[in-house]
Amino acid sequence: MIGRPTSPHNVASAEEPIVFVIDDDASVREALRNLFRSVGFRVEVFGSASEFLQSKLPDVPSCLILDIRLPRVSGLDFQAELADAGIHIPIIFMTGHGDIPMSVRAMKAGAVDFLTKPFRDQDMLDAVTTAIERDRNSRNEAKILSSLQALFATLTPREQEVMALVTAGLMNKQIAVKIGVAEITVKIHRGHIMKKMAAKSLADLVRMAQTLGIRHAAS
Amino acid sequence: MVLALVAAACIWLVLGPAPTAPGYLIAIVLLVASVLASLIMMRMIGSTRRQMEAALQGRARAEHSAIEALRNSEAQWKEVFEHNPVMYFMVDATGTVLSVNSFGAAQLGYLVSELLGQSVLQVFFEEDRDLAQKNVAVCLENIGQTHSWEIRKIRKDRSALWVRENAKAVRRLDNQLIVLIACEDISERKEAENALRQSETYLAEAQRLSHTGSFGWRVATGEIVWSEETFRIFGYDKAPFVTIDTVLQRIHPDDRARAQQTIDRASGDGNDFDHGYQLLMPDGSIKHVHAMAHAVKDASDGIEFVGAVTDITARKRAEEELHEAQANLANVTRVMALGELAASIAHEVNQPLAAVVANAAACLRWLDRETPNLEEARGTVRSIIKDGSRAGEVIQRVRALVNKTADQKAPLQINEVVNEVITLVQHELFSHRVSLRLELAPALPLVIADRIQLQQVILNLVINGIEAMQAVTNRPRELVIRTYPDKADQILVTVKDCGVGIAGENADRVFNAFFTTKSSGMGMGLSICRSIVDAHGGRLSASGNVGPGATIQFTLPLRQEDDTR
Repeated sequence: MIGRPTSPHNVASAEEPIVFVIDDDASVREALRNLFRSVGFRVEVFGSASEFLQSKLPDVPSCLILDIRLPRVSGLDFQAELADAGIHIPIIFMTGHGDIPMSVRAMKAGAVDFLTKPFRDQDMLDAVTTAIERDRNSRNEAKILSSLQALFATLTPREQEVMALVTAGLMNKQIAVKIGVAEITVKIHRGHIMKKMAAKSLADLVRMAQTLGIRHAAS
Repeated sequence: MVLALVAAACIWLVLGPAPTAPGYLIAIVLLVASVLASLIMMRMIGSTRRQMEAALQGRARAEHSAIEALRNSEAQWKEVFEHNPVMYFMVDATGTVLSVNSFGAAQLGYLVSELLGQSVLQVFFEEDRDLAQKNVAVCLENIGQTHSWEIRKIRKDRSALWVRENAKAVRRLDNQLIVLIACEDISERKEAENALRQSETYLAEAQRLSHTGSFGWRVATGEIVWSEETFRIFGYDKAPFVTIDTVLQRIHPDDRARAQQTIDRASGDGNDFDHGYQLLMPDGSIKHVHAMAHAVKDASDGIEFVGAVTDITARKRAEEELHEAQANLANVTRVMALGELAASIAHEVNQPLAAVVANAAACLRWLDRETPNLEEARGTVRSIIKDGSRAGEVIQRVRALVNKTADQKAPLQINEVVNEVITLVQHELFSHRVSLRLELAPALPLVIADRIQLQQVILNLVINGIEAMQAVTNRPRELVIRTYPDKADQILVTVKDCGVGIAGENADRVFNAFFTTKSSGMGMGLSICRSIVDAHGGRLSASGNVGPGATIQFTLPLRQEDDTR
């Protein structure tokens, strides 16, 4: 947060969502800040994409309101840049004049909405609410995934192999033949896997495998 | 005998006092007297006869020499008559040639014998014969008086010659009336006269066609001589001469003092002069004239001006119409340029408008809170006012550029004009990925200029620069606008791009009307720009950069020449 003159607020509370605005026009920037403040959103505004990139993004549900027309780089290009950098923040585009090919491109690239200036305040607030909800969900999913990944990492390589085969639907006997061990050994591995992954049932384990994207390579 | 008697008488008288003398004595005396008288008589007669004889001889000699002399004289006169370079004719009352000298006949291409006995009318043109007859008739009515006239004659070879004839009718000894005519060839003079007249006709015609009259002005006497066309221009009836007052009276009151000044100065220093003024004609119409005069010394070393005065009303009107047409064209191209900027302008209006709408919504929400936040609402309304004004300004700026306004020159700061244009082209710069660098010299002196026209010029140059960089993909597209004082008396504005540049052969042509290298566009932009800059006393020029691209620049003088002409 330090060294960002455009964001005077200290982002302290962990879960309070934040709206980011990038627009090179100060009037529009400040009007949006005012609008979001009036409905109680935390908001941070930037005059350019680079200013935004220089700031440290807090780990809270957030969304980005982006003017299509930015100095030096267009909003669409910046959208792609963020995706390449692995920053998956929901984006709401604004444009001075509605341009269908541009909006199609933006939506295909995952934009939440595409608003034409001057926009209705409710449209903007709805889009922001949707975007923050979407971000909250994806953040939760990400959180679940990372905890599963942490559990999965506690398995031995053999256990990980067995888990892939089990969740692929193979019987213990088939697995034993496949990896060349006794059936009883497979059973022991299964028990360890269920316990380490904290799986309540086989169905639960299968869902976990799906979330983790585990698939048996040689099936 | 008489003498004898006289002698006798004398003796008588001597002896008278002796009356008593005898008679014989008287007889003797008488006899002696007679003898004496006879002797004396004899002598006297002899001498007289001698004298008479001598006289007779002398007379015969004199007569002979007189005849000789006469004969000589006649021959001389005949010579004179025949060969004097004057044509002599002697005609009778009916016009028949009685005599003609050989010079006269030869001049007409005839032999004397061919004319004698013929009607003299044959040496006149048919259409002039009445006149010839009338002239002769006048002579016949006024016998002894000399009459003269000029008339054409016709030669045997049908060619014409002009003659001046002196003629007089006389009565001959035989009581016959004849007319003596002497005529001299004046063809050369006539030709010169005709040539002069023709040349004067040409001159007058040329003056009429060119609406240019001439004048001469003798300063010492104040006498002014005008040509016919000058009278026509000034709308006066022809007169032998006019005065300065005649001229001044016609000059429009607005220009009179200035014209008077020029005339006074010229009459004082005797230098050539050249001035323009308006005439207020009696019907209330206005004429624009331009007069110039050259000073020459006249015979008495006084100054005389020879000059020409031209009616330039039509030219003035054409100039005004041209100016108006150019202004209209400039307006059209300005509107077209704005058309190209429609997206930019819409954006410039839309931005503050979006802010206004968002702020208004926010304001409502501040007010709609359970405890309305009036402080925030007030701040928001202030933003609304600011943004609304900003949108209004953009619209005003656009409207000013679209409005057709006459020249309105006023002192202005060139940097302001640049900035006003820049606000209109933001979107254009953005959509063409052009970055703009402004290098505006601070504290530049004011220039006297028409704000809208200068905006048009800068707008045009910026749009051209942006378009010139459209094809550039391998380097940043940068447009640089600089303003700086060039010399002590002018400001320079340059617009530099790094685009396709200007091919050498096009450097001058880019300013021609309808010259364009673009696929779209009329090619009027730079041509209009140049006429606008010219009208401001500046100069617009284009040059290629050392690196890629071109620089278009114009100058604006700080001191405008006051146009007193």
